[in-house]
Amino acid sequence: MLSRIAQSLFWIGRYLERADDTARILDVQMQVLIEDPGMDERTSCEQLLSVMGVEDYTGNPNRWMILDLLAHNADSPVSIAAAIGAARESARRARETLSTDIWAAINTTWRGLPTARAMRSPDMFAWVRNRTAMISGIADSTMTRDEGWQFYMLGRSIERVDMTARLLSTAALASGPQVAWPTTLRACGAYESFIRAYRGIEADRQAAEFLLLDRWFPRSIVSSLAQAEKALTKLERSGQRTGFSDEAQRLLGRARTELEYRPLADIVFDLPVEMERLQRSCAAASDAVSARYFAEYEEHTWRGGIVL
Amino acid sequence: MNPPQSMQMRIRHTTGYHYERGAAASFNEARMTPMTTSEQYVLRSRLEISPTPWSYEYRDYWGTTVTSFEVHDPHTDLTVVASSTVETQEVPHRPHAATWDDLSGVEDEYCEFLELSSWVAPSPTLLAELAPIRAAAATPGEYALAAAGFLHEQVAYVTGSTEVTTTAADAWESKNGVCQDFAHLTLGVLREARIPARYVSGYLHPSPDPVVGEAIEGESHAWIEWWDGEWVGWDPTNAIAPGPRHVVVAKGRDYGDSPPLRGIFSTSGGSELFVSVEITRLR
Amino acid sequence: MDLPQLFDGYGPVVGFDEMMGPDLEGSGSSTVRENYRRVHESFEKMGSEEIRLRADSLASSYLEQGVTFGVAGEERPFPLDIVPRLIEAADWEHVERGVRQRVLALEAFLADAYGPGELFADDVVPRATVMTSPHFHRVVAGLEPANGVRVHVAGVDLIRDGNGDFRVLEDNVRVPSGVSYVMTNRRALSAALPEVFADHRIRPVSQYSQRLLAALRKAAPAGVNDPTVVVLTPGVYNSAYFEHTLLARTMGVELVEGRDLVCRSGRVMMRTTNGLEPVDVIYRRIDDDFLDPVQFRSDSALGVPGIINAARAGHVTIANAVGNGVADDKLLYTYVPDLIRYYLSEEPILRNVDTWRMGEAEQREEVLDRLDELVLKPVDGSGGKGIVIGPAASRDELDELRAKIMLDPRAWIAQPVVSLSTVPTLVEDGVRPRHVDLRPFAVHDGDDVFVLPGGLTRVALPEGELIVNSSRGGGSKDTWVLASPTDPEDEGEGAPAASRVAGTPQSAGPAIDGDTSDVQVQEQEQQQGRLVEESSC
Repeated sequence: MLSRIAQSLFWIGRYLERADDTARILDVQMQVLIEDPGMDERTSCEQLLSVMGVEDYTGNPNRWMILDLLAHNADSPVSIAAAIGAARESARRARETLSTDIWAAINTTWRGLPTARAMRSPDMFAWVRNRTAMISGIADSTMTRDEGWQFYMLGRSIERVDMTARLLSTAALASGPQVAWPTTLRACGAYESFIRAYRGIEADRQAAEFLLLDRWFPRSIVSSLAQAEKALTKLERSGQRTGFSDEAQRLLGRARTELEYRPLADIVFDLPVEMERLQRSCAAASDAVSARYFAEYEEHTWRGGIVL
Repeated sequence: MNPPQSMQMRIRHTTGYHYERGAAASFNEARMTPMTTSEQYVLRSRLEISPTPWSYEYRDYWGTTVTSFEVHDPHTDLTVVASSTVETQEVPHRPHAATWDDLSGVEDEYCEFLELSSWVAPSPTLLAELAPIRAAAATPGEYALAAAGFLHEQVAYVTGSTEVTTTAADAWESKNGVCQDFAHLTLGVLREARIPARYVSGYLHPSPDPVVGEAIEGESHAWIEWWDGEWVGWDPTNAIAPGPRHVVVAKGRDYGDSPPLRGIFSTSGGSELFVSVEITRLR
Repeated sequence: MDLPQLFDGYGPVVGFDEMMGPDLEGSGSSTVRENYRRVHESFEKMGSEEIRLRADSLASSYLEQGVTFGVAGEERPFPLDIVPRLIEAADWEHVERGVRQRVLALEAFLADAYGPGELFADDVVPRATVMTSPHFHRVVAGLEPANGVRVHVAGVDLIRDGNGDFRVLEDNVRVPSGVSYVMTNRRALSAALPEVFADHRIRPVSQYSQRLLAALRKAAPAGVNDPTVVVLTPGVYNSAYFEHTLLARTMGVELVEGRDLVCRSGRVMMRTTNGLEPVDVIYRRIDDDFLDPVQFRSDSALGVPGIINAARAGHVTIANAVGNGVADDKLLYTYVPDLIRYYLSEEPILRNVDTWRMGEAEQREEVLDRLDELVLKPVDGSGGKGIVIGPAASRDELDELRAKIMLDPRAWIAQPVVSLSTVPTLVEDGVRPRHVDLRPFAVHDGDDVFVLPGGLTRVALPEGELIVNSSRGGGSKDTWVLASPTDPEDEGEGAPAASRVAGTPQSAGPAIDGDTSDVQVQEQEQQQGRLVEESSC
C-alpha cells in the first residue's frame, strides 16, 4: 500500500487513542481534585502537565488551565481537540481508503467538538470515550484486515502503551490518599475486572500490577505491547521481507519482557521513571516504523529551473 | 585573405553543477548536440554525464536533439560533457528579397516568430529611437541590417554584464549585454516591425582566422535569423553574417526554447554552476 | 393557520421554464409540462412542511458524508436542491449525440494540432489561434497517446435558450470536475424522495466509475496487460478533493499525490510500504502547469519530476493528455462548428451560443458599439472569472472594459445575454424558478464515447443570478434523465424490486425469545430499506 496512506492510518490509530486516553487521564485528575480536598491543586496540576509533556505555559496551573491545555484548546498540541483534529486531518488524507462509515464517524466527531466543549467536563470526557469507542467499533467491523488495518492497530497499540504509562504516572504521583487508584481503574474501565481478578483486595500495588501486566485485560500495557508486536509480525509476513529482524519489534519486545520478567517491586518502586522509559521505547519504536515503512515517502524540495 | 569555404570544428562543451551539501536527486534536459542543416553536417557527437544517469534522447518541437536524464543517487557534482565534430561551410549569400507587403502573407505561418515574449519585447524608448530608421527603410531586409547596426553601436558587449534571465528591455536600459541580449534585442525590434525572426544558439570560434589544430577557449553563442523571402542569418553581437566559424545547436523563439542545460535538483544547500567550451579547428 | 402552498407564486417566468409550459388554454395560468407532472403532484401532496423537513435531512446527510466544495481554502457544503431536474428521453438523446460529436471533433483537432497540422494548411483555423495559446504545450508535440485518446473525460457545458434548445457554452477537456456530485446527488435524492423516485423510470448514473476505469485501462501503454491505474490529486486542499477520493474509491484504485510518485528510468513508480511499484495509467487531476516541474513550473510541489518524459518514452499514459487546453479555450470554441464539419463531415448537432471574436476588427467594431448589451468573456478565464455582463455593468466598468479590449483584443470574446432556462427550486419563499446550466460528462475509450445520462445541473440560487458556478455560491440538482419507453436496455434506476426478500428468522437470546414475530417484521423492514438504498447507487 502507499506509504503515505500507511502513515495516515498509523496516525489515525494514534490520535484517536490519544484523545480517548487524554479524556481518561483528565477524568481521573478531575475526580481526584474534587474528592480529595487535601490535595494541593497547583502541585498536582503541575505534575499532570509534566507527565503529559507540557513545559510551555504561563501562570499557576489549576484545573481550568488543565482543561484548557489538555482538552479544549485546539491550538495546544496535547489537547483532545487537537488530537481529534489531527485524526480527522489524517483521515482526510487517507479518505479514499477508509470506509465511508469510518470517515463519517471521525468527521462527525470533529464537527461535534464545539458542542462538546460546552459540556460539563465529565460529560465531555464521556462523549470523547463514546465517540472513540464508536469509531474503533466501526473500524473493527468495516476495515479489511489488510496492511492498512495492521498499521492502524499498530498506531493504536503503541499510543495506548504510551498513554497508559502516563496514566499510571499520574496515579502514582497522586497516590497516597486512597482515591487515585480506584479512579484510575475506573477510568480504564478496569475496575470491575480488577475486583473480580483480585477478589476485592484493593491495593495500589495490585492496581498497578493489573494495569501493567494483566495479559487478559486489553488496555493493560503488556497486552497492548503484545498487540503491537502482533501487528508488526503480520506486516513483516505480508511484506515478505528477509534480512534483519525489525527494529520496532525488537524495541517493543524488549520493553514487554522487561516488564514481564522483572520483579514487580522493582517496577513499582519508582513507577514514574519506569513509565518514562517505556514512553521513550514507544517513541523509538514509532520512529523505527516510520523509517522502515514510510521512508520511501520522503519529501524532496526541488530547486531549479536554473538555466544556463 | 579570404576565409576558407569550409571548416571542421571539434567542440567540447563542459557544464554542470557543484552542490555545497550534495544533491539527493536531479532531473535535467541537455540541448548540447549540434544539428545537421544545409550548412553544417554533424560527423560525430556524444554526451557524457557523470554520475552515470538513466537517459533518453528525443527531438523536440523545434528539431533540437534533447538528452533527458535522471540521477537518483546522492552526488556532489553533476557534469555533462558534450563533444562533437562538425563540418561547417560558408553560408551562400542570399538576396534580401522580401518587401514590406510580403510580410503579411506569412504572418500566420510564422506567428510563433512574431510573438513578443517577455524575453524579446523591446522597450518603448528603443522603438522611439529606431522610428526614423524604420521610416527610411525601403525593405524589411534593409531595416533588419540597419536596426542591428544601430544596436551594435549603442549597446556595449561586456562579458558577464547580464544574467541568463535578463530581458531585452533590461539590456537596453543598461546599454550592456552579451550575445544572448544582442539576439533578444534584435529579435524584439524585428518582430515589432512584423518581420518574422528566430533565435539561433550554438558556438562561435573566437578567432576570425582559426588556426588548424589549436584548441581555443570558446563560448556558447547566440545569433538570429529573420525571414526575408527565406531565412537569413545575422550575428548582431559581431555585426557579421554567420559563416563557417558558427556551429548551430538549436533554433527557437528565444533563449527559453534552447537552454543548454535545464532541470531541477533536490538539495538543502547552495549550488554552483560551471561551464567551459573548447573549440578546435581540425581542418 | 393557512400554510402557503409550495408552488404559490411560481413565476412570473422569463424565458424558458422547464416545468411550466406556455399558457395553452388561455386560462390565465400556465400549465405544467408533462415530464414534470408527477413531481409537481407529489410535491403538492407532501406539502411545504414535509418538503422542508426532507430538505433539512438531505442537507445534514450531505454534511455528514463530507460532500463539500472548497472555496478559498475553506470546505463548504455544496447545497443540493431537493427538486430534481427532469430531462425527457428524446431531449437527452439529442444531447448525447451532440456531446459525442463534439468530443470526437475535439479529439481529431488535438491529434492534428499536435501532429501534422493539416487544419492550418486547409485554413480551417488560423495557426496563430493555436500557436499563440498559452495552453499549446510544445513539449508534447509529436507525442502519440497509446490508444490515440487525449480526451479521456470531457465535460460540455450546456444551457437551454429561450426556445428550450440546448446550446453549448463551453467545452472542458482538461480536468473537468463535478461528476462526483452527479453520483452523490443521485444517492442522496433517491433517499430523500423514495416515492417520487419510484414513480419514474430514471436512467442510472452509477456505472460512471466502471466506464472510466475501463477507458483508462484501455489507454494503457502497449504491452501492459493488467495496468495499474492511479488517480493523481493535488491533495486535500484542492476544491475537488472530495471528487478525487470518490473516483479512486469507486474505481478501486490508489489515490496518489505527486510525492507518492517518483520517476525511475523513465517509468513512474509509486512509493509503497513494499518499496517502489510501477504505475501504468495516471488519471491526473492536476493542471498541466503543475504536473512536471522539469518541464513546467519548477516551483510546483504537486507534480512528479520526469513524468512527461516517461509519457514520451511510452511507459505511462497521462489522462487527460497534457496540452488539451488548446481545445477548450474560448477562442477555439468559436471554431468548433467548423471543426465538426471539417473532421466529421457532419453538421453540428448542438449549436454554439453566438459569439464575436474581438481579435477580428469588423466584429470588434460591432461589439464596442453595444458593450452595454453583451456579455464579454476573457478567452482565458474559467469559473466565471473576469466576465463582464454589459447590462449589469456601470459606465466606469464599461469604459475600463473597453480599454482592456483595445489593449489585447484577442483575449476577449463577446456573447449576447442568453436567458438561461429556469427550473423549480426550493428557496426561502417556496419553490421558485431559478436559472440552471448542465454539464454532461463523456468518457472516450478509443472506440466509443459514453455520455453519462444525467450530468451536473448547477443552479444559481439568488433570484435573477445568471452566472451558475459552484465557486460563486451556486448549488446543484439531481438530473433525472427519463428512460424512453422503447428502451429495452434501461430498466430504470430504483424501480421497485421484483421479489420480496424472505429472511430466515434471526436467532434470539433468552431476553427476547418468544417474541419472534416482531423481530421478523422489523428485520424485513430493514432489508427493504436497504434494498432501496443499495440499488440507488
